[in-house]
Amino acid sequence: MSYFFQIVVSGIVVGSIYALAALGLVLVYKSSRVANFAHGQIIAAGAFITFFLTVRLGVPIFFSFLASMLITFFLAMSVERIFLRRLIGEPIISVIMVTIGLASIFDGLIYLTPFGSENFSFPTFLPTESIVVGGVSISWTQLVGVIITFVLIGCFSWFFKKSTVGISMRAVSDDQFGAMSVGISVPRVFALAWATAGLSAAAAGCIIGNITGLNFETLHAFGIVVFPVVILGGLDSILGAVVAGIIMGLIQQFASGYLDGNFGLNGTGDVMPYIILLIILLFKPHGLFGIHEIERV
Amino acid sequence: MSQNRWLATGNFFTSYKQEQRTFFTHLDRTIFTCFLVILFGWPLVFEISNKYMLVLDNILIAIVAVMGLNLLLGFAGLISIGHAAFVGIGAYSVASVCQVIGENHVIVTHFWPVLIVCAGIMGAIFGAFVGLPALRLKHLYLAIATLSFQMIFEWFIQFMSFFNQGQTIYVGRVHWFTGQVGRSDHYLFWYYIILTLVVVLGFGVRNLLKTKYGRCLVAVRDNDRAADAMGMNPGLTKVYAFALAGFFAGVAGALHAYLYRGVGFESFTLHASVGYLAMAIVGGLGTLNGIFWGPVAIKFLDIQVEQFSEFVGQYLTSAPNVATALKPLSFGLVIVLFLMYEPRGIANWWRIVKSYTKLWPFRY
Repeated sequence: MSYFFQIVVSGIVVGSIYALAALGLVLVYKSSRVANFAHGQIIAAGAFITFFLTVRLGVPIFFSFLASMLITFFLAMSVERIFLRRLIGEPIISVIMVTIGLASIFDGLIYLTPFGSENFSFPTFLPTESIVVGGVSISWTQLVGVIITFVLIGCFSWFFKKSTVGISMRAVSDDQFGAMSVGISVPRVFALAWATAGLSAAAAGCIIGNITGLNFETLHAFGIVVFPVVILGGLDSILGAVVAGIIMGLIQQFASGYLDGNFGLNGTGDVMPYIILLIILLFKPHGLFGIHEIERV
Repeated sequence: MSQNRWLATGNFFTSYKQEQRTFFTHLDRTIFTCFLVILFGWPLVFEISNKYMLVLDNILIAIVAVMGLNLLLGFAGLISIGHAAFVGIGAYSVASVCQVIGENHVIVTHFWPVLIVCAGIMGAIFGAFVGLPALRLKHLYLAIATLSFQMIFEWFIQFMSFFNQGQTIYVGRVHWFTGQVGRSDHYLFWYYIILTLVVVLGFGVRNLLKTKYGRCLVAVRDNDRAADAMGMNPGLTKVYAFALAGFFAGVAGALHAYLYRGVGFESFTLHASVGYLAMAIVGGLGTLNGIFWGPVAIKFLDIQVEQFSEFVGQYLTSAPNVATALKPLSFGLVIVLFLMYEPRGIANWWRIVKSYTKLWPFRY
């Protein structure tokens, strides 16, 4: 039984990271209808910036965490300014392909740095022994990671519900022309959505880096695996991203906990989200909390 | 049609039938014939090493695959991020035949055209299956569906012992009327076979667009609700487009398997899918000649970048992964720059040059 609860705990840990990573994707999609395939690369960039600041420059980890969030904030904003702003009104294929191209460019740039191909790990700043409750163990990094994730998600949802900027972002996502007519600057909101996405990506990158170690391949793989999560939750719902993230984390951990090695299967955890996704697309195409848009010619 | 059957400097059509022609003027037809004669004839005149022949074969196979992707992306407006998986389906259906009956069985070596067509049909079946969500969905959701198919495909190949867990599965040497195709003319032989296929399939695509189904695809791309109102079935048209793209991809995969005399997992990854997408976009979406420009341009870029990074690597010995860095960087830059500054691709340049030469010395 403790095996079961162990899987539940690790599922929630993985799932909350998915939720945080998915948040950035949802933010960008909600405001500007762009699916950002370069999100994983921004996550990786955030993690490596933190690593660079803490280890190479000796900045305390808390400040480098904040600094990397600030840097990716401006990085994502400039990506929007340079590449995506020209494409407003272009067909969706071009927009998606530009983000795929951007992912490739980021890949190249990160391979040029020394962080491209090796494994790194953050210096430990938390107790290394794990907490054991009734046979279920959770390490301090995981616990702190989950807590930070939920705090951040809470901050984001407060930001969208209460603050003026957040409300204007929601307005743009509902109706761009309507928002424009009441005096909201739509390009500014787009830039802000990208910037907040970059911010959450950096946070996700740091938390993942602390838990699993820094490796470019695993970090940017998050950018792809986040898509099933987002689709499950509905592409434009923040609550959906959180719920779907945790569901996906649980499914993944259960799959690798119970299926692997039993029926001659291996690595089912990696493929399970995609299988779930295909099934969901057939039966509930717009996800759990997604809005089914009414289209007119 | 103008009085002059050799040159036409405007649109003189008087009937629908004239617009349906494959070649509008005699000049077009002559140039095309000369082009074909050159393509088929040059290996008889020039000797070329197997290394470069392999590059040419690769480009031709990519052209076959991109034909399918361009139908899907340019004509039906559906994004597929899993095209390499469909190519892989074709290649692995040949490989699984080899696994079951042995790599040097008569069916593999003598009846390879049948196997290639069967691989195409396998691709079409899987394409239709993956396209099933298209009955209810569009745009991004479909793109993600193909993405997940790509991931599931990769997992299957990597973990099934039947597929050798992604290790190479060998395919035997094929036979021709002259006997077994030997090592020295293997690549030349496949150059001719693939070139013939490219020509045949190219005409196929060209004529498909004149049929009811081809026009259905374009109508659904432009506005699926309007197409629905006009009596087409957008969902089925999309599934059909996926099946068609799967067919082309399957054929390309089977050709890949025969050309390399083996099937390995690395050629059909997500990265390859993005490569096919880039080829389709750089060539020009929704154009016929873009199908040919794209693969040529991207493969050429690949080779140039490889040579450049070798050149750089001589001077910068301390940075060993210049090649791994420059490849995705240049590749991504090409995609992004094309989409930002020339979204209609190289085919647009071709169109400009063509209309200029046609109207010369008049500007308009």
